[in-house]
Amino acid sequence: MTLRDWVPIFALLVPGLGLILVLIGSVVYVAVAQSFGYYALLGQSAFSLEFWSDVFDRKLFSRAVRYSIYVGFWSAVLSVALAYPLAIWLRKPFPGSIGLGALLKAPLLVHGLVAAFLYINVISYNGLLNQFMQGIGIWSEPRRLQNDPNAFGVLLLQVWKNMPFALLLLTGAVQSISDDILDASRDLGAGPWARFCKIIAPLSISGMQAAMVIIFIGALADFTFQTTVGPTNRQSMAQLMVSFKSRGDWHSAAVVGVSLMTIALLGSALLAFTSRVIMRGGLR
Amino acid sequence: MTYERLNSLLITMVVTVAFIWLAIPFTMAVLWSLVDPAEPWTADKLLPPVMSFYRWVDMWENSSLRYALISSYTLAPSAALLGLCLALPTAFALGRFDFPGREFAKLLCLLPLVVPPFITAIFFSALLFQLGLNTWRFGAIVFAHSILFLPYAIRILTVSFETVRQDHIDAARDLGASAWARFRVAYLPALKPGISATLLIVFIQSIEEFAIAFIIGSPDIVTIPTLLYSALGQDFVRPNAAVLSLILVVPNVFLMLILERLMRSANPTLSSGKG
Repeated sequence: MTLRDWVPIFALLVPGLGLILVLIGSVVYVAVAQSFGYYALLGQSAFSLEFWSDVFDRKLFSRAVRYSIYVGFWSAVLSVALAYPLAIWLRKPFPGSIGLGALLKAPLLVHGLVAAFLYINVISYNGLLNQFMQGIGIWSEPRRLQNDPNAFGVLLLQVWKNMPFALLLLTGAVQSISDDILDASRDLGAGPWARFCKIIAPLSISGMQAAMVIIFIGALADFTFQTTVGPTNRQSMAQLMVSFKSRGDWHSAAVVGVSLMTIALLGSALLAFTSRVIMRGGLR
Repeated sequence: MTYERLNSLLITMVVTVAFIWLAIPFTMAVLWSLVDPAEPWTADKLLPPVMSFYRWVDMWENSSLRYALISSYTLAPSAALLGLCLALPTAFALGRFDFPGREFAKLLCLLPLVVPPFITAIFFSALLFQLGLNTWRFGAIVFAHSILFLPYAIRILTVSFETVRQDHIDAARDLGASAWARFRVAYLPALKPGISATLLIVFIQSIEEFAIAFIIGSPDIVTIPTLLYSALGQDFVRPNAAVLSLILVVPNVFLMLILERLMRSANPTLSSGKG
């Protein structure tokens, strides 16, 4: 292609892709620069590693990192683990299967904050769950379930919101496997487990990886579920970043932000790689 | 157990779980929004003792709900229109031209989806501070929303541009149609569902977006999600939160259903004319 061919294409790409690159590029650039002391809103801007060492020394930070990874990892694994069997079950249409798929994917239409509200409603001190458990005589008195220390509430909400998304991606991947291959393997004597390990898993791996990575990044960077139903004695990384920022400490917020992006990147690569190894090699 | 019996057992199980998962919480939300303050809904009663629309009227008259609705429903169409205008040229390039690196360009368009929203929000606001634009809140949110949701817009419109048939364009040209007439007869019919789908998806996403509206908008601009967030936090009043939840969810569910129909009809344009 000559320069004359490139000019119109380039001009067409500028308002869309160009703006995306400018916005995201400058956001990442400002975050990295602020974490090293530049772009100070107050005081002087100069290169400094002080903010990195300060933040890394704080227990608050290491706890936030561990906690966010915990939420990100388990949300991704649990959502995919639940969605896989459902996707395989719904692969071949049967009477009612479309309705079932729609029912299972309904949470995609519900805003996360609304989901949080519904959940608080059900588990509150006088809520339905407490009533039910007392009614059937398992608990003698209502229990405080809100903001539980193990963040089961956050995980439950993440799975509630993300399992349908994983199901959407996995249904697409599983439905694209042709019947011929599965029939052939059945003729050759493969049982359901062998068919899953040797055919379905390897052929749907990219859909599964995409689901894992997207859910992991979303849950790792969670703010709303954490601040509404999460444990009160721990902070997620996004929450820590917002609290630094609202105190005007932009540099520390930037350190947390850059660490969050790095963990998101490395973590997704690791998750994608590990799931490939498990699905391709480990189970064989 | 036969396959059919196993299947119907599974169906019953999933429907039961989905019922607990969806129907019960939503019914509770509807009931809570109808609790009349004259008599509280205590734990020993199955249904609220007095039901009325008091909370709805009260929220409408005495809270920031009206402002939130106005700002959400002005932000969203503005972001949708701006997003459409920004996405069209790029989608045209990606859908109609074959150039080296096209697949990579498509991949780069997904970038806003990978960066966590709170990082975009915080450091975009830092950028606005640096540029001295930090008081330009409404414009900043519209701008950020339209770019954050460009990946959806570009993806949908690229597919639409790909479905425009070259022989229609050629036929129009052979018959002497001007550039505008060619656009109207060859491009527009194939693009229409994509354009509506784009407007709708950016609209829905913008109504639901929380991080940018929360970080950049506060304290001046209240949207429905930021209002709901504060109703769940410092000033938690259950019936009010129930009203807000329903206001946020119900319209969007209908819009999503329309969107799904549009997306389904986005392809049959292919079959217009010859197969």
